[in-house]
Amino acid sequence: MFAHILRRLIVWVPSVLLVMLGVYALAFYGAGDPIKLIFLRAPGDVAYDPVKIEAIRAEAGLDRPFLVQFFSYIWNLMQGNFGNSLTSGRSVWAMVSAAAPVSAALGLMTIVVTALVAVPLGMIAGMRQNSRLDYFILGTAVALWAIPAYVAGPLLMVLLLMILPDGAVPYGWGGIFSVKILLPLIVLSFQPIALILRQTRAAVIEVLSEDYVRTARAKGVPEHMVALRHILRPVLTPVVTQLGLIMITIVNGAIFVELVFGLPGLGRLTVQALINNDYPVILAVTLIGSFLVMASNLLVDLLYPLLDPRAADVKGS
Amino acid sequence: MELTESKAGISRRGLLQFAIGSAVAVAAFGPGARIVMAQEGQVLKAINPAFNQDWSPLRGGGVPFRWNSFWNASAMYFNDKGEIQPYVLTEWAPNADFSVWTLKVSPDAKFADGSPITAADVKGSWELSSMPTTKNQRIDQVLSGVAGYAAVKDGTATDISGIVAGEGELVVTLAGPDPIFYQRLANHIAPIVKVSVARGADGNEVADWFLGANGATSGPFMMESADLDSGAVVWVPNPNFFGPAPKLARIELTAVEDNVTATEMLKSGKYQAHTELVTSTIVLDLGADFAAGPTIPTSQHFWFNASRAPMDDPKVREALILAVDRDGLIKASFPDGPHQKTDTVMNSVPGEDDASFTPFPYDPEAAKAALAASTYGGPEKLPKLMFVGISSPANEAAAQYIAEQWRQVLGISAVDMKPQQDQYSGPDQNAIQIFRDDVGTRVPDAASYLAGSIASGSGNAQGKMGGYKNDAVDALIAEALALPADDPNRSAKAQEAQRIFRDDFMFIPWYKQTMSRWATANVSGMEKNLDWQVFAPWNVSIS
Repeated sequence: MFAHILRRLIVWVPSVLLVMLGVYALAFYGAGDPIKLIFLRAPGDVAYDPVKIEAIRAEAGLDRPFLVQFFSYIWNLMQGNFGNSLTSGRSVWAMVSAAAPVSAALGLMTIVVTALVAVPLGMIAGMRQNSRLDYFILGTAVALWAIPAYVAGPLLMVLLLMILPDGAVPYGWGGIFSVKILLPLIVLSFQPIALILRQTRAAVIEVLSEDYVRTARAKGVPEHMVALRHILRPVLTPVVTQLGLIMITIVNGAIFVELVFGLPGLGRLTVQALINNDYPVILAVTLIGSFLVMASNLLVDLLYPLLDPRAADVKGS
Repeated sequence: MELTESKAGISRRGLLQFAIGSAVAVAAFGPGARIVMAQEGQVLKAINPAFNQDWSPLRGGGVPFRWNSFWNASAMYFNDKGEIQPYVLTEWAPNADFSVWTLKVSPDAKFADGSPITAADVKGSWELSSMPTTKNQRIDQVLSGVAGYAAVKDGTATDISGIVAGEGELVVTLAGPDPIFYQRLANHIAPIVKVSVARGADGNEVADWFLGANGATSGPFMMESADLDSGAVVWVPNPNFFGPAPKLARIELTAVEDNVTATEMLKSGKYQAHTELVTSTIVLDLGADFAAGPTIPTSQHFWFNASRAPMDDPKVREALILAVDRDGLIKASFPDGPHQKTDTVMNSVPGEDDASFTPFPYDPEAAKAALAASTYGGPEKLPKLMFVGISSPANEAAAQYIAEQWRQVLGISAVDMKPQQDQYSGPDQNAIQIFRDDVGTRVPDAASYLAGSIASGSGNAQGKMGGYKNDAVDALIAEALALPADDPNRSAKAQEAQRIFRDDFMFIPWYKQTMSRWATANVSGMEKNLDWQVFAPWNVSIS
């Protein structure tokens, strides 16, 4: 197991370095200049002074050649120094370490809710294939699938603000045990629930025709035991893979939900950094995002043997 | 029953009830209790449109700048009528040729920690705002005329040699005469902060010196806390404020980025104010009171870059201007206000009303004739017309209205518009001809207004108008700037310069800006001045 994790880390380091080089090059050579933007984005009575701009650029070390800047950044990174934001001057580590837990908690809670809601409903729909209940569950899933987060979020927010007295709608971030997480969680779960539900249903229908299920039933095993022991376990393997991918997507890109519900997560930080061409923040977010992808894949890999003993045998061999 | 009781004599059901009761009590009297405490006294709950990461009062711009007057004192300030008021500086006097100014520091002026504000603090605050690493966006407007300022701005010095701080007074030597220098100091672009806390040994700003209650600021309120990651900032009254006692007990600012959500929150009464809410339907959504306010010396126009085709042909510029019905333009963009249509570059300054000024008419026939007389002969050979600065719903409405007028009147169909220059790709980036942007001034002075907008040395003329230069305009503005503030010729010469500029067909006039209260009707005292600040924040109260 330890060797497996180590192998993953060894592969991750060069690939993330390559990604960061690409991102840095895009930010460096692409359109936009972070120092000029500080002044150009302000209203028109701002004095745009090239001499002052160059003085600020030199102070920030942005007048050096591309590779010198990049390797200087990597060198600092190896010493645990993520640098400071070019636009706000804040420590990038402070910004990222505040935003990442919010996104991670949100992603984790979303997959928990998704798993708790979608897997049982998918099981029921699959085992009652083509019944009214199946149609109802599937129809609801398709309806949820059709509502993107950038529509569901603002609509839900505005609706609740109109309904609840004194605008008592939870807003902002208060941790996973706060009532404030409910609305973003609902909105973020819509599409993953629909996706996992449909996937679970399809897998259940496939597994139902397997010999071992027929045998279990023939032996007189109660239906709920058949469902839990013989159908659920093989169904869960692809579902867990999908949940891992969903978590990555939410952690790195729940931009609209973060914006509408005032959540200080990585998505909002990334967009702001991209708009401002804030290289140090863009690179730090890339690094964190890449790490989360690797960690999430690793977690899924570790879960496989628990769900399917055959996976452990394969890894062992 | 006995079977379900534990050895301690408590049943499982009882234990469950106790746990639920405890949870309810914690919810009601734990965090909830803090909310009740906070409600004692008047609490202004305001919305900020961004998760601002930098709340330094020395930036001279950006969203946080709008709150500067609440927690920072300035040298002087203007009230909503444009009258200058003493603050940290109580007296100001020039020498005979307006090149040396003596400024007196109020003996009562104190920082939030109770220590006196000295002349050295004033000098140091101005120097700190001038340092390039401070990134103050507008310090040029305040100190560019001071001898020795340029060296500090360029990073080659840390001391402004033209300012000498003495005992309770400053002597400021200018590079040349400036009869309205005192007016340039009356704003919160470079507020007065405690230099021993805010400035490091290298002359640069100490990181995050302004966060939390450290007593280094000087306004009626002081920052109690700032959680930059969750977008929450709290101010409480400054017990050592040297002006009138603030009426509010607390100000709580929360970041809400989405304008629709913010509008609904304001409508619900949960919040009472907003830093800056700009939507086309603001009056319809939140009422006229919310958006009301005085007009300030700032106006929005569409500027033509005369160095780029087809704007290098004056006849094309004339055609494009005369083809736009500007009454319709203001209705399309701000149908219910609060901003007002304007015909001129300069607004809301003494001398803005010029009976001799002829507004651009809406004249489709003249527009067609002008285009036909241009080197292009008609719409077919015109290159694509590109707008930039179309970054809000109101901007979009206005730009689309203009484009539609050009299509209907002149037959022009190739028009593009984007929020920022870098969103155009390839050669288009350097071919943009129309820039939507504001011009204005922080002093109620016509000559300064035009010096910053149409004089050839202004950023507006050099950048957006592509190096516009009219010697007659420049000469008149220069003559006006040298005259005393109360000389009627100062405004008259500015008016004449504006009339000459008008005939160069360089812009489509749009609106003069109202500085909205952005506060619900039950909040009083939120009126702002030409510096975009609540000018008497100690008077803000909630009924």
